[in-house]
Amino acid sequence: MAEHTITSPLPGIFYRRPSPEADPFVQEGDKITPGTVIGLVGVMKTFHHITANVTGTLVRFLVENEEAIRPGQPIAVVRDEA
Amino acid sequence: MLEVRNGGFETTIQDYPGRIGMLSLGFAPAGPMDDYAFRFANILVGNPPGTAGLEITAGGLVVVFHDERAIALCGADMGARLNGQAVELWRSYLVRPGDVLEFDYLQGPGFRTYLAISGGIDVPPVLGSRATYLPGAIGGLEGRKLQAGDRLPLGEPTLDPAAAAGRRVPASFVPTYPGYNEVWELEATRGPQADPDYMTAEDMAFFFSHHWKLDAASNRTGYRLDIHKWQWARESGGAGGGHPSNILDNGYPVGAVNVCGDQPIILCIDGPTLGGFICNAVVAKAALWKLGQMVPGWSYIRFKEVTLEEAIGLVKQQEEIIHESNLERS
Repeated sequence: MAEHTITSPLPGIFYRRPSPEADPFVQEGDKITPGTVIGLVGVMKTFHHITANVTGTLVRFLVENEEAIRPGQPIAVVRDEA
Repeated sequence: MLEVRNGGFETTIQDYPGRIGMLSLGFAPAGPMDDYAFRFANILVGNPPGTAGLEITAGGLVVVFHDERAIALCGADMGARLNGQAVELWRSYLVRPGDVLEFDYLQGPGFRTYLAISGGIDVPPVLGSRATYLPGAIGGLEGRKLQAGDRLPLGEPTLDPAAAAGRRVPASFVPTYPGYNEVWELEATRGPQADPDYMTAEDMAFFFSHHWKLDAASNRTGYRLDIHKWQWARESGGAGGGHPSNILDNGYPVGAVNVCGDQPIILCIDGPTLGGFICNAVVAKAALWKLGQMVPGWSYIRFKEVTLEEAIGLVKQQEEIIHESNLERS
């Protein structure tokens, strides 16, 4: 078992939900696979998906919903099952 | 021909000064957000400074060259690599058919990088310019940002690419960008609707001293700043509307600080050409480039008041700096 972090390539505002009324994309403890959307970064009035790059369990988020993030900042910790 | 393998987050074809002289017809000029880096990149490869090149925003671009050309990158560090080797900014290189240029994401301060290619990008001019105007979907390639599979025609270089390669901008002319959460000083003149007729002297004093936070929802159209409760010199906008920020519709200067109710918005090079809100200041032409390197959601701005004469002087100073005679051989 190893821990990985998912990072954002973009600066902007991090969102855990696709829209204010919707459920979060994923919850802590959820299983994820490469390509699973874990959140959005909003910048320049456009939104970009942040996706998982490994298979495993999303252990915890490292940033809050609607927090400003920097490029390369770790967003979440994933533990793989290998 | 330049082949695009990945368009990145927002990469557009731009030229300088863009589609000027058409504000009265509703066309913003478009062009590079940071014309300082853009013009230096062109000069490095032996092009006239306004030649069409690429504006790369926040990274992610991957391109393949199919011709021998000189190239240069000026602007923010995106960890660019040419065939896997790190590329220095503010320096010209020779590329050959098959060479691959890849950009990672932002590695430090700044937000945009410019790729100039000797001969330039030879898309057809629209209304006199190759600049991409995204809100109007004209210019550049089909009026849009680049995407995988695009093939961009290149012009013929006027200077031998091998002779244009290996030159650099002297360190004293390479700008240092303020970091995240740091303040940019932005030269600006008082605008057409300032004090005492529209705002109070206290409003303007606040405007020129406050550290304004740049909102994440800022782009080539407008840069949003924080909300402020202004005193205002008038009770209402009269015939222009109920709020004292209203006026009868009039033309907006490029770089105007447009105050819409409580919120100031800097109108950038893709911005609206007219409207019915006051403009209490205008960013000096020679300072507009700084907008291109500010990071939405992170940068702060302090407006430094300059007179019109000082603003003209800054343009002249900049013209002397952005000149081929200042380049060094590396």
